Amino acid sequence: MLRFLASRILTMILTALCLTFIVFFLTNLGPNLEKVAKSELGARITDAEVESWLTRNGYMQPVVLRYGEWLGVVPGFTHEADDGAVTGRCIDAETPAEVAPTFCGVLQGDWGYSTVFRRDVSEIVARGLGLTGKLMFWVMLVMVPGALLIGVLAGMREGSRTDRTLSTLSIVTTATPEYVSGVVFITVFASSAVGLKWLNGSATSAMDDITFANFTLPVLTIALYGMGYIARMTRASMTEVMTAQYIRTARLKGVSFPNIVMKHALRNALIAPFTVIMLQFPWLLNGVVIVETLFNYKGFGWTLVEAAGNNDIELLLGVSVVSVLVVLITQLISDIGYVYLNPRIRIS
Amino acid sequence: MTQHFRNAEKVHPAATLYATEEKAGKLDRREFLTRATALGVTAPAAYGLLGLSSPAKAEAHATSGGTLRMQMETKALKDPRLFDWSEMGNFARGWLEYLVEYNGDGSLRGMLLESWEANEDATEFTLNVRPGVTWNNGDAFTAEDVARNITGWCDSSVEGNSMAARMSSLIDADTGMAREGAITVVDDLTVKLTLNAPDITVIVGMADYPASIVHSSYAGGDPSVNPIGTGPYLPTQNDVGVKQILVKNTDHTWWGTEVYGGPYLDSIEYIDYGTDPSAFLAAAESGEIDATYQTTGDFVDIFDAIGFNKTEAITSATLAIRFNQLQEPFDNVEVRRAMQLAVDNSVILELGYNGLGTTAENHHVCPIHPEYAELAPLVVDPDGAAAAIAEAGHADTEFELISIDDAWQAASCDAVAAQIRDAGINIKRTVLPGSTFWNDWTKYPFSATEWNMRPLGVQVLALAYKSGVAWNETAFANAEFDALLARAMSIENAEARSEVMAEIETIMQNEGVLIQPYWRSLYRHTAAGVMGADMHPTFEHHHYKWWIEA
Amino acid sequence: MDPLSWTGAAGAILNPLLAATTLAFVVSIVSMTVLSFFTPAHTLQSNPDGSLVQQGGIYGLSEIASKYTLFALLAVLVAYIVAGVVMPYGNAGILGAISKQFTPVWIALVITFALSITFKRRLGIYGKLFDNIVGMVGFGLVMFWVFTAVFVGVFDMIATHDPLSQLSGLKNKVPGVPVPGAEDMAPGSHYLLGGDNLARDVFSRMIHGSWIVIQIAPLATMFAFMVGITLGLPAGYFGGRFDTALSFLANLILAFPVILLFYLLVTPEMVETGIPTYMAAVLFIFPLVFFAVLLNSRYHTQPSIRTPLLVVVLGAVGWIYLSLISQPGTVFNFMPGALDLFDIPGGILVVFVSVVFVNSPTIYRIVRGLAMDIKTRDYVAAAQTRGEGSWYIMLWEILPNARGPLIVDFCLRIGYATILLGTLGFFGLGLPPESPDWGSTINAGRGLLSIYPHPALVPAIALLSMVLGLNLLADGLREESLKD
Repeated sequence: MLRFLASRILTMILTALCLTFIVFFLTNLGPNLEKVAKSELGARITDAEVESWLTRNGYMQPVVLRYGEWLGVVPGFTHEADDGAVTGRCIDAETPAEVAPTFCGVLQGDWGYSTVFRRDVSEIVARGLGLTGKLMFWVMLVMVPGALLIGVLAGMREGSRTDRTLSTLSIVTTATPEYVSGVVFITVFASSAVGLKWLNGSATSAMDDITFANFTLPVLTIALYGMGYIARMTRASMTEVMTAQYIRTARLKGVSFPNIVMKHALRNALIAPFTVIMLQFPWLLNGVVIVETLFNYKGFGWTLVEAAGNNDIELLLGVSVVSVLVVLITQLISDIGYVYLNPRIRIS
Repeated sequence: MTQHFRNAEKVHPAATLYATEEKAGKLDRREFLTRATALGVTAPAAYGLLGLSSPAKAEAHATSGGTLRMQMETKALKDPRLFDWSEMGNFARGWLEYLVEYNGDGSLRGMLLESWEANEDATEFTLNVRPGVTWNNGDAFTAEDVARNITGWCDSSVEGNSMAARMSSLIDADTGMAREGAITVVDDLTVKLTLNAPDITVIVGMADYPASIVHSSYAGGDPSVNPIGTGPYLPTQNDVGVKQILVKNTDHTWWGTEVYGGPYLDSIEYIDYGTDPSAFLAAAESGEIDATYQTTGDFVDIFDAIGFNKTEAITSATLAIRFNQLQEPFDNVEVRRAMQLAVDNSVILELGYNGLGTTAENHHVCPIHPEYAELAPLVVDPDGAAAAIAEAGHADTEFELISIDDAWQAASCDAVAAQIRDAGINIKRTVLPGSTFWNDWTKYPFSATEWNMRPLGVQVLALAYKSGVAWNETAFANAEFDALLARAMSIENAEARSEVMAEIETIMQNEGVLIQPYWRSLYRHTAAGVMGADMHPTFEHHHYKWWIEA
Repeated sequence: MDPLSWTGAAGAILNPLLAATTLAFVVSIVSMTVLSFFTPAHTLQSNPDGSLVQQGGIYGLSEIASKYTLFALLAVLVAYIVAGVVMPYGNAGILGAISKQFTPVWIALVITFALSITFKRRLGIYGKLFDNIVGMVGFGLVMFWVFTAVFVGVFDMIATHDPLSQLSGLKNKVPGVPVPGAEDMAPGSHYLLGGDNLARDVFSRMIHGSWIVIQIAPLATMFAFMVGITLGLPAGYFGGRFDTALSFLANLILAFPVILLFYLLVTPEMVETGIPTYMAAVLFIFPLVFFAVLLNSRYHTQPSIRTPLLVVVLGAVGWIYLSLISQPGTVFNFMPGALDLFDIPGGILVVFVSVVFVNSPTIYRIVRGLAMDIKTRDYVAAAQTRGEGSWYIMLWEILPNARGPLIVDFCLRIGYATILLGTLGFFGLGLPPESPDWGSTINAGRGLLSIYPHPALVPAIALLSMVLGLNLLADGLREESLKD
């Protein structure tokens, strides 16, 4: 088990390194750097000014070297102006050149500075994660029980009309992308002109204070898309359990149907969906980005869009590291959980 | 209210002339107010010249307290001279004030300047600094502060300093700095400006959003970090892209309370909802905001319908769908002219901006300017357009029209492209996100740019179409145009000037500089009870006038 | 000219019927769902005379009720369509007029179903689909859009107006609005589903959009499959370092959030650097490799057939490949205009490449898993002892036996690609803004949704029905292939 964990964690680190390097490379291509310079100095500067600004701020060094700086394994860039003033990566208003450390990268705990939000990356990412965490908590609270219920109901009588209806329903929800369901929900529930105006079509106020009115639609939009998939997995697992030997025995013994479902089948049928739910996390990120943009909720997904749209290099790297880690860690948990719950599989 | 009145004989002679013109119907009232007050006549005096009394102030019964939440893009601040968005100025306006203030009715009034006078040919301006103004750190505000800021504006070596273009008559062309002797501090409360040519736009330029007055300790960067200013508010939160909050500065006695009244609100929150108007609508319907920054296009009616109050500012704000004359194939004037021929501006107004404005005539001079000279109506001839394109050898060329992803701008460009396509010319559309669009905005061969209102008709021509100026996105370089424009800038008589303007407008049209479909009105919607926060023609937020009905 | 109502004269009879059947159907479904939890399953009891009686009890009743109400509901819906086709234009309202426009599609659908059901025993897995209601419904929905796309894209039928032309005065008008100046009741005299924000015909845009969606989504999925199969088969078959390296790479791409990847790839800056063109050059070479290996492994013992075959096929595919990647204004611009078959605008190419790129690793993993499973089978061992080459075994032994799951995944993945295209449209990335494809039109109509819902709802429903069709089709195929 320990060896398995160690090798998985090693792969994880390697993956994270590769991915951040790819992001780093893509965001540091010529046209993207020009975009950074122009957003910093204004749109109307000349090419020569762009070049001099980029040189002055260390953007013209080789990409590998700069990636090393970001990681914290290469000394931070410094630049001495003609008047002797020293500026550099590790130098800012609070830490002047004399006391500034040589290395300031991720390894030193410095995630860099967001050029869009003018804050430390760690602060922005933490803020986004906090808000998205709240959103995900509610999504899970709605999605998981709902999906399990539908899946169990459908799976306990395979092939019945209830099964058909609920399975079709699950397919419909997986076939409805968030940008369609969100748009329809807003029209129906939030619009005062043609809709019911029961709920809010904007979740900005939910950042400070979550209410039923401002949080229902975003939560529902994400939950619905994921619900169908988990429900179908639960259904598959339930049908398998219902045909198992011990259930047949119970039925022959004359145990009533509701009793069979509640007391015998349910527990075993819920093991498999666990791994599926874990694997849902990264998949939900897509939905989070769309919903946070649609409902103007400034969480992690919204931060990603802003960082990518403005080529905010260090913020984008921070966001990628976090999202890649989420993907890999949930994969790991689901693997371990699967092994743990299923004694037939052993790790070699 | 202690307004500074002048003796009748001290009123600038040109202003009296303008008053005569206004009464004769040659000058419209708002233009008269702008021009007269630019010469140093106070607004009440200007109204007096017309035989009218100044409009009554609504603030008389204003109530204090409360928080106003407005939707606005919250942009990162930088050195005020480099401001390229009104939004930046509007947040900084809480603590950084201006020398003069441009008002919705077209008049200018003194803020940190109490008054100003111009000499007869408008080459010399005397600025009288308002006495008794203090910075919020306790320092006194003096003529030195004024002179230092103006000198700063004149520094054209600063990358992206757009104030330099507005102060060009104070700048030495060789050094790119303020001319020796152009700015003189006469005494503690007086500054004298000596211009190298008659230029009535200098004072108006001081009301523009990059002209914030900063403290001597300010050394560049984000001014909200150490917010020393003369204004009544202080920034307490500055989360770019999320929220910016101004809170009334209780430790500071604001000079304006005695002079103009206010400020009434305890705090002002700017909340960022991106650029999508449907998000603003959702926010308004959810009760998250009390006012929009600007309401555009189809949303004007919609906001009316949900019970928000509409305020309107009639302006010369417009959309310039311009050609870059250095880029293939628009270096050929026939191609540019043909494109103009294919487009019916009134249809663009209907489809792109819901008919909320007036059609324009492809020369960027607005009927509300006295400079405006009426030319023959534009001809729309799609068949002729296609023939001209074919003749120029571009029958099979696919043109590309670029715009930003803003709702009404994109819609207008889509409509333009559709008309060009209907004429039988090949064209495709590209919509770029805002973050990308502005990178190359002056270089696109064929794209649309939003231009805000300038109080004077000649201003935008000097800013955007004069040869070689920083914002000249059309690459239009025409010596005859430059000469005529310089002449227009020095002629005071509206009738005489409009003759020159007729020539300028004709050149603009003949050279096929841009497709300018319409002049748009600007709208803001406010929730019931929000007072004084009317739409301003140049988007300025005069926080001290805002209040909420208790 | 009067505006059209939704159902016109036909509605007088059909609307009350529709209301009644819908109500009955909903009631029966709800009662069935509730009952299913409390009642035992129905049992079969044999009578002395040998017949079987189903003892369903109250649950069984509700099941039967839901079945017949569903049939009644479908019958009413078909009646709407038939009424529209049969009655003169305008008499059956908007729905009738739309149904009339779709006449060629209905005919094609009826022929397809009639032929397929008649010969279903000879058609392999495709024929089995027609034993499965869910699969048939899915197939019907998918073919509806495929036929629509082909009729509008190739023959320019169905649509009533040009998707880009704007008619003054019809901005944001409600469905059924008459076109100014139109005189007689004929196709084209109304905007059947109203006008959008730029006074274009919503109905025609939706119809034209289907052609774009039907072209891009399946084609991109096909390319992704070529890449996935060409890499996944050897990885699964040989294993070892090659497998380890490729799997690491695949997991790398899979760990990337799709949206982030799109934001990094589908930007004007990225098009400027030429990276999408390089990626296209690499990704699009896989079909070339695929066909080369496929044919070579089969016919390498018969050079007289192989050589001409390879020359012809590779020549054709190679030419297409070269025209595909050679675009004026990019890093690859080597083909003279006369030889260059077609040019794909940079914006569409990058969308295409990105969709292929994010889908390939998943397919690679599926194919690899299947190959690992199938290579242990007897017939593979038999082929190995026969002395067949590795590529022959992979492509002509393993691949045909893996087709079931792959076909199912192919259907699902087209739906996923359609959703991805819409996501790109939602963020304003990729396709040009006035393109009538469904993602972009939903995004364009989203702004005014709360006042004028029709410009966004129409493409949304279209997208929904097609993705739903693909999902149902995949579900049906899966069920039928599991029965083997």
